[in-house]
Amino acid sequence: MPLYGTLDITQDSKHLPTLANLDTEAWALPKAETMQLLVEVPRRSTDGLLPKAMHPALPSYVILAVTRYPESPVGPFNLAVLRLGSRAGAHPRGFLLGAIASTDAAAMELRARWGIPVEQGEVKFVRRHDRIMGTVKKDGRTILDCALINPQPVAGTDVQYINWVTAANAPIDGQTQPMLIQVDPKYTFYKAERGTPHVATFDGKAWNAGSIELADPIVATCCTVDTDLPRIRFVMDPIKPVFQGTRRIRESRADE
Amino acid sequence: MKFGLFYEISVPRPWTPEKERTVYNNCLEQVKLADELGFEHVWAVEHHFLEEYSHCSAPELFLTACAMVTRNMQVGHGIVVCVPEFNHPIKIAEKTATLDILSGGRLHVGTGRSATWTELGGFRANPDITKKSWDEFVRCLPKMWMQETFSYQGEFWSMPERTILPKPYQKPHPPMWVAVTSPGTEIDAADRGLGSLGLSFAGFEEQEKKIKEYRRRIQMCEPVGAFVNEQVATTNFLFCHEDNATGVEMGKRLGNTFNYLATQLISTREVYSSPSYQSLGLLPALRRAATGPDANEQQTEGMAYGDPARIIRAVKKWESLGVDCINFILNANEVVPQDQVMASLRLFAREVMPHFAKKPANVDALGAGAPKAQAAE
Repeated sequence: MPLYGTLDITQDSKHLPTLANLDTEAWALPKAETMQLLVEVPRRSTDGLLPKAMHPALPSYVILAVTRYPESPVGPFNLAVLRLGSRAGAHPRGFLLGAIASTDAAAMELRARWGIPVEQGEVKFVRRHDRIMGTVKKDGRTILDCALINPQPVAGTDVQYINWVTAANAPIDGQTQPMLIQVDPKYTFYKAERGTPHVATFDGKAWNAGSIELADPIVATCCTVDTDLPRIRFVMDPIKPVFQGTRRIRESRADE
Repeated sequence: MKFGLFYEISVPRPWTPEKERTVYNNCLEQVKLADELGFEHVWAVEHHFLEEYSHCSAPELFLTACAMVTRNMQVGHGIVVCVPEFNHPIKIAEKTATLDILSGGRLHVGTGRSATWTELGGFRANPDITKKSWDEFVRCLPKMWMQETFSYQGEFWSMPERTILPKPYQKPHPPMWVAVTSPGTEIDAADRGLGSLGLSFAGFEEQEKKIKEYRRRIQMCEPVGAFVNEQVATTNFLFCHEDNATGVEMGKRLGNTFNYLATQLISTREVYSSPSYQSLGLLPALRRAATGPDANEQQTEGMAYGDPARIIRAVKKWESLGVDCINFILNANEVVPQDQVMASLRLFAREVMPHFAKKPANVDALGAGAPKAQAAE
């Protein structure tokens, strides 16, 4: 059967975000501009980064995303995230390794509500006609400098975004414990572009992924979307295969 | 209704030195028996880099071995990836003609373009143009087989005038097919006069719509080859057992294993945004089938597992929808022990095939108790 991740998050869960409950309300995030770069990485460089419950993607790849959220319940903010391509059972997922938000309020809320491993830093999203650029600084040091080169229009239907999985401590069955949380934003597309991904600077350690080496670029997209961060619907045992360890927290998004 | 075998050649980890050889040998043993039992086709895919799911990257070699151990079965190269980075068209024409000669004119040629990033990215192929390159390839192949000399100047490849050798044994050329997974590809098949090699496990309703549209469109086709190959084949899992519950249980295990492995593949659309890959192909259906509390219920519609009576009902339903041929997947990751695969084939041939097959099976190969069933009316 398929390979599994090797990371046991229960062994060192103190550094994980902690959620007060699994009942966070959804955030509407209209007119967000989100740039995603997909890059293949050597399989060995992802060893130890994926929880035991999940399957690695073959070939291994990461998703670097820089997003400008002009409206949110905590005001405008930019967010950069690093996700590791993977599978939860049969479903493609991006396991969130690290994130930087441009405001303290956003960082605090994203950690506390969805378990996103986010810290505050400087995140810039810059659109030009010949390229769209994302730069991230932490403690004055550039940890990501990337771009989509030569954006060309495509249809929103050409773009597929995969859902996220975060690792966090959260209360369930009367006990706060480490678990995996599915975060599944929805998207309404207004504009979509595609281009060549280019990464000038990437500091894996700053994204909790010191071993990651970027190798073969796949593609870059930039889309303007109405999106959200929804209520939590599913959580997963971090050790068991997800088809054995998934718990449904609420029925569907219709209850939002 | 014709029956065939369909091989992905799935090899479970750990890949010990003997594992791949054992799986290949098991497949050849099954093919040899199936030929004796009256199965009419053996198809083998071309896949690359698809760990556990398919270790069948050189199907023309496997099919040559199949041809050598069989007398009657037709060998289906299904599919040849018609993307220049994978296969040069000259080599496709040469290799298929050679296989047709070696098999004594038993070759069918399936065509396609690959659906996974794992494969397209591995060959550094551009997903945006695979439909176009496939179209060029399928137009050229019949001419390369039939014309004494051939030259070509196209968008994706070209060659000066040469004599492409050898020529196929079959005249004018082997039947041509296209793999149909994405919605709309059945129309591509019909418009070009190609057989529809269905590789999905969709339910009756969806298949019926596709088949009707295929039959309607092919009446107006401009065939790429010298003749129209109007045939609809579909894929199914096979596990036939005297006890229905045992057959269904093992069949589901086979289906679930295959589906779960398939859903681990990185579809092109998942990572590479392209108008050329609007659909996830067969993956959404497989994901639904492979997971969730309803998995088993959804997966059983039309599946050829259980006791002979159940399988007969399923096959008759497919026949009523206009399917000409069902190609069976017999194993995935070796979850079905080889002796049970062989017993299942024998039982199917003894109890199910007589209700459909025109060609009588070899009584010696049927094993104990043969023959039992009545011949088809």
